[in-house]
Amino acid sequence: MSYAVELINISKSFGNVRAVRNVSLQIRKNEFFSLLGPSGCGKTTTLRIIAGLEEPDSGVVKLDGKDVTYVPTHKRNIGMVFQTLALFPHMDVYDNIAFGLRMRNYPESEIRKRVKEMLEIVRLSGLEHRRIHQLSGGQRQRVALARALIVQPAVLLLDEPLGALDLKIRQHMMVELKRVQREVGTTFIYVTHDQSEAMVMSDRIAIMKDGVIQQIGEPYEIYMKPRNKFVATFIGDAINMIEGDYLEPGIVATSLGQIKTIASDEYFGKRVIVAIRPEKVLIGSEVTGDVDNVFEGTVSMTIFRGAFIEYRVMLGHDIEFIVFKPHVGSSAPLLTPGSSVKIGWNRDSGIILVE
Amino acid sequence: MSIIDIIRRGKKLKLFIFIGIPMIYLLIFFFIPFLIAFLYSLGMFKQVVYQYVFVPEPSLEYYSGLMKFPGIFKSIQRSFYYASLTTLGTFLISYPLTYYIGVKLEEKYRDLAVLIIFTPFWINFLLRVYAMRFILHEAGMINLILRLIGIISEPIKFLGTDTAVIIVMIYSYLIFMVLPLYGVLEKLDVELLEAAATLGATPFKAFIKITLPLSLPGILAGSLLVFIPAVGEFVIPELVGGPNTTTLGTIIYSFFLRVRGVTGWGIGSAAALIYIVLILVASYVYMKFVGGEVRLG
Repeated sequence: MSYAVELINISKSFGNVRAVRNVSLQIRKNEFFSLLGPSGCGKTTTLRIIAGLEEPDSGVVKLDGKDVTYVPTHKRNIGMVFQTLALFPHMDVYDNIAFGLRMRNYPESEIRKRVKEMLEIVRLSGLEHRRIHQLSGGQRQRVALARALIVQPAVLLLDEPLGALDLKIRQHMMVELKRVQREVGTTFIYVTHDQSEAMVMSDRIAIMKDGVIQQIGEPYEIYMKPRNKFVATFIGDAINMIEGDYLEPGIVATSLGQIKTIASDEYFGKRVIVAIRPEKVLIGSEVTGDVDNVFEGTVSMTIFRGAFIEYRVMLGHDIEFIVFKPHVGSSAPLLTPGSSVKIGWNRDSGIILVE
Repeated sequence: MSIIDIIRRGKKLKLFIFIGIPMIYLLIFFFIPFLIAFLYSLGMFKQVVYQYVFVPEPSLEYYSGLMKFPGIFKSIQRSFYYASLTTLGTFLISYPLTYYIGVKLEEKYRDLAVLIIFTPFWINFLLRVYAMRFILHEAGMINLILRLIGIISEPIKFLGTDTAVIIVMIYSYLIFMVLPLYGVLEKLDVELLEAAATLGATPFKAFIKITLPLSLPGILAGSLLVFIPAVGEFVIPELVGGPNTTTLGTIIYSFFLRVRGVTGWGIGSAAALIYIVLILVASYVYMKFVGGEVRLG
């Protein structure tokens, strides 16, 4: 089976800026794939290269197994939702959605039927004759989605389409996008700088930085096994990190003392970072005798975050640990700032990273 | 008096300054003179020696006098012919020009390009038109070049012909088409064309369905800015034309400044009134026809 999209060693520069460097990707059919990274990481350029809106300096773009590197955009079977949405301001909702079918010379009766179906999928029925400026942000978003999907593209490219929406509507649209994707069964490639969007919707995520792909994997995998410091910090709310030397199997020597980690020969003799997710850190009475790493600290801050409580705990002078704890019942003991507390974690909770 | 009242009065004062004063200006320098011209054309206002006399009996004497003027209908027709070709010509030159400046050219060079188009307009209008006489002359540059590259053996006589008038009119009115077109095309969102391409539109179809409709307000404004004064043009037909290029404008001009007197001003006013009515009708029809398609945002 061929991939929906395959990029082989794609590079692209703008002047002196190397926007995309040697990017290779294989995106499976019907996959919800995200390109995630900070602004300027090359994710949008990669998407535009797939769309044919930019020509790569080198490399090959394949759609459904066919080399389309030099095929113009209008001949590629793709759909795209732009960051600005790029809805046609001189047309109403119906004409915007019908545009792709009209370009393919469908009969008007067929167009009417399919626009009606599409309006139902994106839940905009009844608004077909509204002008674009009369719609809310969320509705415009749906029009852009419907307009791109109606031609049944093999791949739908989405360039930060939720960026302009309020948090509530954005959360709602994330679930909607996922629903629509399952309903139409199309490959979605989604570009975003918002890790929560990528985590919620994606089957797989590629994390990019400075034009280079840092890691590709399922959300769980990227969260639990980040390959480097960048991925570890970019994904998730927070992560605790301690630098040290991996001198003996399963032991890293740090400024806090020895830290027990999982054993792996590949780190032997290297300067490494031990990283622990805040929710994996045990605190107070949770720290029992059989916990691998135990440290004494002082609570510097207690923050009520709603679904959980965030503690900041100072270990020594300059290492601050962030700990997330769910509150059980109403009697959850809040640790007061200034109090001493034990924190700890088991060796398999620590992630070893090399710079 | 409360603060709100003062602010309200302030608002009214601003309205008066920014709308009222220009309106008074128009009243004094346009509407009243226009009314006088209207009365003149009906023979209701006359200047006898140094006295202005109001005659309360309107007559169509000057209008019938104008209609009897030899070649009047031909001249009116010619005015519209020149104006239409000028509008079309300026559009055909300006559209691709402003499209490439406003859409394709790198942003930092755009102002410079527009400035370069403007340069001829730094020179006095009469001087420019007069200079065109030398360029179009049998011994002028155009004939010289055409002969040098061997397209013609005998010089072409441009001066005094429709061709000369239209060439010079297109040249003179170009900027009035360029500016409004540049205004809309420079603002054209290129992502709309990219979106059209992702939906399967060829560059040509994207142009027809997106670029053209979105530039319609500019086309409308540009063509009215060119067409309306072009119908009344009298300097260019006078300077590069001849006996066969009389227009409504040259007729109005000659009645007011050559014939003069009560009759000259009377007939001239009648011609000016007819000119205004024709322009209003033509603009209305045009706006109905093209403007009906204009839908903004």
